[in-house]
Amino acid sequence: MSRDDGHRGAGRTVTPTGATGIDLTLTVNGALRDLRIDNRVTLLDALRDEVGLTGTKKGCDQGACGACTVLVDDRRVLACLTLAAQCEGRRVTTIEGLAEDGRRHPLQDAFLRHDGFQCGYCTPGQIMSAVALLREGRAGSDEEIREFMSGNICRCGAYPNILAAIREVAREAVG
Amino acid sequence: MTMTEPTRVVGAGLDRVDGPLKVAGAAPYPSDVRYPAMAHAALVRSTVAAGRIAAIDTAAAEALPGVLAVLTHHNAPRLRPGPENNLGPTPPPPLQDDRILHNGQYVAVVVAEQAYQATDAARSVTVTYERAEAALDIDDDRGELKIDPFGFDGGRGDLDAGLAAADVVHEATYTTAENTNNPLGLFATVAAWDGDRVTVHDSTQWTSNVRTTLAQVFGLPEEAVRVYAKYVGGGFGSGLRVWPHTVLAVLAARVVGRPVKLVLSRPEMFTGVGHRPNTVQRIRIGARRDGGLVALDHEAVQTVAMEDENPEPVAAVSANAYACPNVRYRDRQRRLHIPCPGSMRAPGEAQGNFGLESAIDELAHRLGMDPLELRLRNYAEVQPQYGLPWSSKALRECYTVGADRFGWSRRDPRIGAMRDGRWRVGYGMAGVSYLWWQMPCAARATISRDGTGYVRSAATDIGTGTYTVMWQLSAELLGLDPDRVRFDLGDSDMPPAPQAGGSGLTGALGNAVYDSCRNLLRRFLDRVADDPGSPLRRCTVDDVAVSGGRIHHRTDPRRGESYVAILERHRLDELTADGASSPPEAQQVGMAPAGAFAAKFVEVHVDSELGLIRIPRVLSVVDGGRILNEKLARSQIIGATVGGIGQALFEETRTDARTGRVANANLGDYLVPVQADIGDLDVVFVGGPDRLTPVGTKGVGEVGLPGTAAAIANAVHHATGVRIRSLPITLEQLIAPS
Repeated sequence: MSRDDGHRGAGRTVTPTGATGIDLTLTVNGALRDLRIDNRVTLLDALRDEVGLTGTKKGCDQGACGACTVLVDDRRVLACLTLAAQCEGRRVTTIEGLAEDGRRHPLQDAFLRHDGFQCGYCTPGQIMSAVALLREGRAGSDEEIREFMSGNICRCGAYPNILAAIREVAREAVG
Repeated sequence: MTMTEPTRVVGAGLDRVDGPLKVAGAAPYPSDVRYPAMAHAALVRSTVAAGRIAAIDTAAAEALPGVLAVLTHHNAPRLRPGPENNLGPTPPPPLQDDRILHNGQYVAVVVAEQAYQATDAARSVTVTYERAEAALDIDDDRGELKIDPFGFDGGRGDLDAGLAAADVVHEATYTTAENTNNPLGLFATVAAWDGDRVTVHDSTQWTSNVRTTLAQVFGLPEEAVRVYAKYVGGGFGSGLRVWPHTVLAVLAARVVGRPVKLVLSRPEMFTGVGHRPNTVQRIRIGARRDGGLVALDHEAVQTVAMEDENPEPVAAVSANAYACPNVRYRDRQRRLHIPCPGSMRAPGEAQGNFGLESAIDELAHRLGMDPLELRLRNYAEVQPQYGLPWSSKALRECYTVGADRFGWSRRDPRIGAMRDGRWRVGYGMAGVSYLWWQMPCAARATISRDGTGYVRSAATDIGTGTYTVMWQLSAELLGLDPDRVRFDLGDSDMPPAPQAGGSGLTGALGNAVYDSCRNLLRRFLDRVADDPGSPLRRCTVDDVAVSGGRIHHRTDPRRGESYVAILERHRLDELTADGASSPPEAQQVGMAPAGAFAAKFVEVHVDSELGLIRIPRVLSVVDGGRILNEKLARSQIIGATVGGIGQALFEETRTDARTGRVANANLGDYLVPVQADIGDLDVVFVGGPDRLTPVGTKGVGEVGLPGTAAAIANAVHHATGVRIRSLPITLEQLIAPS
């Protein structure tokens, strides 16, 4: 038997020291949102817990799964690795902001038609990532879509259907 | 009211009924649930694998802003053990003593106003351990080796005589790595007490079991517990048990007198909600020159926790796969200081099939036979253990249709003979005879005066498509337009349902829905039995059919009336009926209940110099009985195939041999397939409705996974001559000089 302090040091250094409340204005899906939040809050937690938009999902909180993908100034970012404070004055678009006049985005329709999901948990991130992918011009071939959608894990394994959905919308956009 | 052929509604590839919510990000998962004044919980986990807690200091955590409570084994209320069910016991209740049985075991839970505060405070809890020696390896004799742990060991004939009579005996050891389910949805529990009643939103595959278990653990009547799981972010088996974090969330909410949310972190998902146990399998298989099997011996050792159980027969895959006269299958379980394993998509079959179907391929190679021909040569026309006819079996079609579609005849049997530039090309295949599984289930059906139908059951839809197929089935059985029918689930106050697991829910629930709809029809007919104004007077359910919101004579559709007319005439707002299904006994029905069957055909490309493996295509041919929705069933098969590719090429949970800590407990280091890893996944369904039940389904949630790894390993051998007997297949295994 040996004695072992499993949490040596860790407990005494990680405290709210340095954490402060900040006032922040985010533009989320076109609307201004005034928030007073802890400066450590990620964009993901700010969206889900402060703004109340829970469509953006937390799958790892470590930047590895893509479930939290949102657009910031039209570029895809991982909201779990982005501090809310970094987004002051920038345009944040989430899955809830994709429909226009109550009509689903073509990618949302294509995911439905092609059954591009099962449990649906990664789906908001997949769709937001795909929106950016099309804008980036990275949907020219199946290979390209596969490569540039590989930051979004689908554990249900709907990849071929996700590919089919994106391919269809990409072709419509070109045609 | 019989159902055999596809109809306008059932069988059709309708889009998911829950799809519009999911693509809009509007489907509420447990982690999305909020209550006013809700507090948040975070967990403290053991950093040692064995021993006891010598001291635990919570003062620093308690002093932090927002902290409401810190519970440890010193101050946590005593909890009763949960019940035993068909998947074994409930995991032991947490925080009941100072003993440590695995790294990652919960030693404290912190509750605070904000999630950040709870997480911070959890890090401020200081634990001092008295460490004991831990048994962590499957070969470690310090861990008890349980013999025949499931009472499932068995066989037939005379194994030794069979081996002695064989012209060729192949013997080898196959190993499979520990895999972790990792549904993308972090498991979450939200608990809200109201006096002595509690409402729980939980990431579970089995609401009825969560209710029963929490009632027992907290000493409550069952009706005081209501469990919701409307949407679950995947499970793959993780949600089959009531894990300690669920109990802790409910406990924390009771202690602080406020609703509490607890969301597991990704690292906690590796230690707290089960995993596929690693296995070591020894297989001996003997055949005559002509390929006829004469002996099959399969022994599998797997790992299990020190004080918890996981019934997962592995060697049992060899019981009924082939018509071999002399068979023995035996399971062993090694107790270790590890988080308890649990079901992970195709439990037991995923590992056992890799051993068996690799061994069959090796035997075929030794015999100089086509591996497809060897499988057909030993086709089990009747179920070998019972000697009874199968309730359905189209595995032969799986093989023949698959071979044709895949182009198996173009396979040059010589090792390394096929090339595509610098890539060595291999074709491999495997067969799957999936276990049959069914549990009792209940459902309730209502038709209201506005002409709409409402059918419900406490079941869950973890992405499998249960909402959709049961909605379709209900519409057909009630003869209502689909947009006039609602099917609901995920609420333990609904009629009890079994787990979404074991590929058994569609059959159990489908037949309960069938029974409830039939009973509802009886209730309507009872109402008009003596009604001189009704054209349905004195009709029985077998005399009538339903369509377009009407009940009518089977032989004369004009003679009938609508549900609405009956309700109006009898001044009823609605009629409701319950229904149930229970698994039939094989001997009673004179058939061996058949699970799904499948054949997998795989093409692999292996880079000659780098050992890189690519899988351009996988063909799955599946006999899943009656397919209720081909689009969704196909998704189940491709999803499971992706899971099989993960098992074959990527997934391995690594445990540090010194501390028992999972060393790769995140999605950056624990590799799972991503979009770029997946090629063309083709799916074909063959066969027809199973004869065992009126609905005729067999369940397709798991059959797509087993066979994948074996077919890939067999294809790798065909491409390179390197026989991989250990999963996952990694590059270094393929770049050894050959």
